[in-house]
Amino acid sequence: MISEKSKQTIDKWIAKYPKGQQQSAVMEALKLSQIDNGGYLDKKCIEAVADYLDMSVISVAEVATFYENYNHKPVAKYTVRFCHNISCMLNGADNLIDYLEAKINAEKLGELVQVKKVECLGACVGAPMCQINDDYFENLNEQKINEIISGLK
Amino acid sequence: MLEIEIDGAKVSADPGEMLIAVTDRAGIRVPRFCYHKHLSIAANCRMCLVDIEGSPKPKPACSTPIAEGMKIWTHNDKTKISQKAVMEFLLINHPLDCPICDQGGECELQDVAMDYGADISRFTEGKRIVEDKDIGALIQTDMTRCIHCTRCVRFGDEIAGVMEMGATGRGENLKIEPFLAYGIDSELSGNMIDICPVGALTSKPFRYELRSWQMQSVAGVSRHDLVGSNLLSQTYKGKVKRIVARENSDINETWIADRERFSYQGLSHENRLLMPQIKIEGKWQEVTWNVALDFALKGLNNAVLNNKQTDRLGALATNTATLEEFYLLQKILRGVGTQNIDYRLNIKDLDATINLPSNIKLTDLETLDYGLIIGANLRLEQPLINHRLRKAVLSGAMVDVVNVAEFDFNYQPNNHNIIAPNQIALLLAGVLKVVLESTQAEVLPDLQNLNPNATAKQLAARLLRADNAVIVLGEHLLNIPQVAIIAALITQIAQHTDSKTLNTSLSANSKAADLAGFTPGRDGLDANTMLTAQLKAYILLDIYPQYDFYNSPKAIEAFNNADTFIIALNSFKDEVVLEYADILLPIANFYESPGSHVNIEGLVQSFPAAVSAPGEAKPAWKVFKVLADLLQLPGFDYTANQQITSEATMHQNPKLSKVDVSKVDVSIDLTMKKGIDIIWQKSPYAIDVLLRHSPALQMTKIGQINTASMNAATAKKLKLTQTDDYLGVPVVLSETVADDCVFINANRQTWDRGQ
Repeated sequence: MISEKSKQTIDKWIAKYPKGQQQSAVMEALKLSQIDNGGYLDKKCIEAVADYLDMSVISVAEVATFYENYNHKPVAKYTVRFCHNISCMLNGADNLIDYLEAKINAEKLGELVQVKKVECLGACVGAPMCQINDDYFENLNEQKINEIISGLK
Repeated sequence: MLEIEIDGAKVSADPGEMLIAVTDRAGIRVPRFCYHKHLSIAANCRMCLVDIEGSPKPKPACSTPIAEGMKIWTHNDKTKISQKAVMEFLLINHPLDCPICDQGGECELQDVAMDYGADISRFTEGKRIVEDKDIGALIQTDMTRCIHCTRCVRFGDEIAGVMEMGATGRGENLKIEPFLAYGIDSELSGNMIDICPVGALTSKPFRYELRSWQMQSVAGVSRHDLVGSNLLSQTYKGKVKRIVARENSDINETWIADRERFSYQGLSHENRLLMPQIKIEGKWQEVTWNVALDFALKGLNNAVLNNKQTDRLGALATNTATLEEFYLLQKILRGVGTQNIDYRLNIKDLDATINLPSNIKLTDLETLDYGLIIGANLRLEQPLINHRLRKAVLSGAMVDVVNVAEFDFNYQPNNHNIIAPNQIALLLAGVLKVVLESTQAEVLPDLQNLNPNATAKQLAARLLRADNAVIVLGEHLLNIPQVAIIAALITQIAQHTDSKTLNTSLSANSKAADLAGFTPGRDGLDANTMLTAQLKAYILLDIYPQYDFYNSPKAIEAFNNADTFIIALNSFKDEVVLEYADILLPIANFYESPGSHVNIEGLVQSFPAAVSAPGEAKPAWKVFKVLADLLQLPGFDYTANQQITSEATMHQNPKLSKVDVSKVDVSIDLTMKKGIDIIWQKSPYAIDVLLRHSPALQMTKIGQINTASMNAATAKKLKLTQTDDYLGVPVVLSETVADDCVFINANRQTWDRGQ
């Protein structure tokens, strides 16, 4: 559940820490394993990371369940992380989130797109904003959302 | 030494101590949940907040180191207000239903809530609920009751050495649990029940049986291994209902192994022998003790005593018998004039038996800087000795292993040397040669031509460098042909490197048998020669030959000999015993008889009986006393068990072994014969009859171990595959087993050793 390429990256992270402290690389390893596994961590991923870093499985599970960005269920192809903190909220983020969710429901796009409300993503200058997979989309409105969603395949 | 002031009283303490350790010593009660003196400090329950002068807010006593002149108040208003606030938070999600909780009455949370909790909860919102998990046959979970103190998590990580419990999730969703469907499998797991301050982890076999205040606690000592763990047997209406650990910092600290904790279940097994029985014309009849003992006396008279053939009487005993039982039985035999006495049933060649002393204290194991383990899976054989060694490793000691297969360690040994059994003597001879050369001692002529390999050089160098080293010899090598040489080599290596030795090859209460002189004297027959000597009569103490003997078929055959009169004292009914015995006397098992255990340090620990034996069963020492009176032997006017204890510990026991190890010829045949050695180890939960009858233990992962492991090359030689059985045990191919070795780890001894 960890690809060879990811293992090389993990090894680089392990090398950053003192010898015997390889478990410090657990978050990076989980992140890579999640990518290798198509966006979420299952039992095998957590066991593989534990095995690779010589940790107990439950210690890896503790980390994996602590942080929001590790998923434990299969995810849609696109995850929209919509900011709903102060700047975005004042610029109408809450309404836009409702709009987006209604649109996904109406057009039955649930398997393609999923929405997650998140805290500040540090792009208040372009509020309201969201992050779709690795890209930021700023100064959103309903029309822009329509364009973005219709562009997703 | 620093001086601090607690509640106005001056108390002295060592620098670096935490406040809570000082208050505990001074007998001042500070409430706590997460703090445990043998675990690391978590400071996450916040219950031990105390007021410290100069500190604006109260601080947790468990994680506040003391400083000179500190002034602490543990019971003033500021402290009480904070502690009450913490208590209220802890009770937010904890169910307030102590009457239906198994921990009720012995619950730390309940006790503290009595002092610090409010009468009425102000929390009207919904409480969180955590689903329970089945984590094995020993521990019952009720995770809604968990207050997240993380003692069980830290116990796994720090004491058991395998982190099995963990805290998953975050905030409101935090849960204490093992990973997904994993269970709790460690050999020390039951201690989590003791340390859980609430009813989240409780004993599964004991669930909803009784309240703690209904039971009486009797101090006891375990006889399953060489440690002699201190415990409390908690009884109700004449039955042992539960076993918990009893603290003894020199022996077991606050821990006991699962074996000790759950073996009591066997005591109430339906197979217990309840009535004396005699066999008349092939039919078993239940009789009274008087009739049975008369029958025994008559039988002994007819078989050996009347015709002056006392040298054809033999006595064999299980190694879990008490010191007093060993002593009385050997005294009877020696009294009627025979020395055919033995408890070492599981050894192939008793002439070559291991006479290696153990000369290190359990507590000193922690301060070692080097350990060499030979032929042992200590974690399963002697869990608490392993725990001490593990502590040494955690504080920097190095441990090397010379084993016939790779075992699961709960610490990281430096080198795992997996060596064919027939090569171990050669390796140790190499070590000895290097040691002798480097200490400028005379190299024995037999070792002149030896070329020590790299491993031998490395082991020797480490032994020589270490200030406090120990060499541990386990039970795996007991039955290989070179065992005497190995013991002799270890003795010499230890002498020349100033190392201590630890011999765990004979376990349970074997040390008591040695102390009581329960071994054949110079003219006596040992356990193996007795079987071939066609004896006329035997007295067998709690023996089940299909499990206990090295060569079970031979033993059963010898006992079944038609004109052999057999007095069998057994605590459990057994088909095989029924077949050969002429008289069956029901005896007490663990906790049912007073007695003594002698541990690996030679420490004699006596214990009282916690309950009386079921039915008509009697403690074996009483049976022996009456038998001796019937035989009109002098010197048996005991009225109490303690009289026997003091006599047994005073008397000069005969020479234990015919072999003087320091004089064993260490000649090493360099072209050593290459045969396949079978290393047999019983599953740790099948070593004695009580354990074999304890259902919960048998359901654990350790209890179900049943494999004959070998590597592919050995399997090829034996023409076996993964789908075969070897001597009745399923074959597992594993490259972690040494060449020329079959490692059998099985629950049931079903195989024929006539190889």
